[in-house]
Amino acid sequence: MNLDLNNDPDAARRAADQMAVCLARELWDGERVFHGVNSPLPMVAIFLARKLHAPHSVLIEVAGSVDPEPEGLPFSTNDPKLCEGAASLFSNADAYDLFSRGGVDLLFLGGAQIDKAGRVNMSYIGDPAQPKVRLPGGGGGSVIMEQARRVVIWRVVHDVRTFVSKLDFVTQTGNLTRIVTPLAVLELIEGGLEIESAHPGVSAVEVAANTGFALDASRKISVTAPPTQDELAALEVIDPEGVRYSEFSALRRVKRWDDEMLRW
Amino acid sequence: MRGFKGSDIPERSGIQTIDDPYTGETLHAIPALTPDWAIIHVQEANIDGDARILGPRYFDVEMTRAAKGVIITAEKIVSSEVFIEEPEMSVVPGFMVSAVVEAPGGALPCSCAHAYGVDEDGMRRYMELSKTAEGLKAYLEAEDSNLAAGPSDR
Repeated sequence: MNLDLNNDPDAARRAADQMAVCLARELWDGERVFHGVNSPLPMVAIFLARKLHAPHSVLIEVAGSVDPEPEGLPFSTNDPKLCEGAASLFSNADAYDLFSRGGVDLLFLGGAQIDKAGRVNMSYIGDPAQPKVRLPGGGGGSVIMEQARRVVIWRVVHDVRTFVSKLDFVTQTGNLTRIVTPLAVLELIEGGLEIESAHPGVSAVEVAANTGFALDASRKISVTAPPTQDELAALEVIDPEGVRYSEFSALRRVKRWDDEMLRW
Repeated sequence: MRGFKGSDIPERSGIQTIDDPYTGETLHAIPALTPDWAIIHVQEANIDGDARILGPRYFDVEMTRAAKGVIITAEKIVSSEVFIEEPEMSVVPGFMVSAVVEAPGGALPCSCAHAYGVDEDGMRRYMELSKTAEGLKAYLEAEDSNLAAGPSDR
């Protein structure tokens, strides 16, 4: 693979910007959107979309507020800073109830292991009775993934350990539409994941080689629209500290607790 | 509750299903969590244990309802008159509370809304030292003397 995200900071920066804009383009104006804890890229993407094409979206913050407008973005996506500028609070219990009555349009979720059907493992690697790695768990995803109208997954690693033919454990599933990675956008069509677009400079062959389940080689695959000047400029304004880069090890200032989760 | 469609969690956790007697929808019945203690850190409490949370509440209020006993740690102890003027601000009533501790800086190295943000250096120190029991003890002792010295010394 010509993309060395672990060691090449420029490649990692480009991938992070591309992922942020791809995620932002998933939010439509007027929708209610929710992201989970430990979700830097979706958080940045939502603020980007709200600044550009989705100013009337409603952000229900996992930190417990509605439509916050903080000065700068925190590195923790559960930081009380994400209540600044909000006119009302909305607790996690309230958010779960809202999901349960079908009141959330778009949900961004992570995924440690994902299969062809778009099912997600966030629980164990190896035998669940004696796991090789204990993952952090779905954090409510097993309930809200099937209740959101649309679910978009992001993951900063695209490899054969992430995209597998068989999950070690099914934590959650339901309503998945797309997956955004550093290489491509995958789309769930008729119950199976296929490549929708490969990012500029990445070939469909590379995507397939880094995916552990079969992809339809006969499909027409487009090139992901690169970030526009407007998108890049807005990213700099809303995220001057580079929170969007914090998930990439090549760009990280300090070792993070979940490094192990990215490399089992 | 609604959820868990297609998930391995119910089988692994022993969570049972139940049919909603009104709609017939199959739901999951989650056993209640009943911890002995909930310890929550708040911005303001009075000596009777009435507590206010300024800013987001996360799951703190639910925890106080689930636990058999509640311990409140507070940035500041304020007079009961302040609470009586605005009782709607209290999220935990004193009768549920076993103990109140005045603990300025008590959420560190994490953040406390309206008081301080995350202490990133402190977090790193905690992550490193808390790997061993001795390290954790050293961390806590250092924090104690820091807190005793007051906020201006951090």
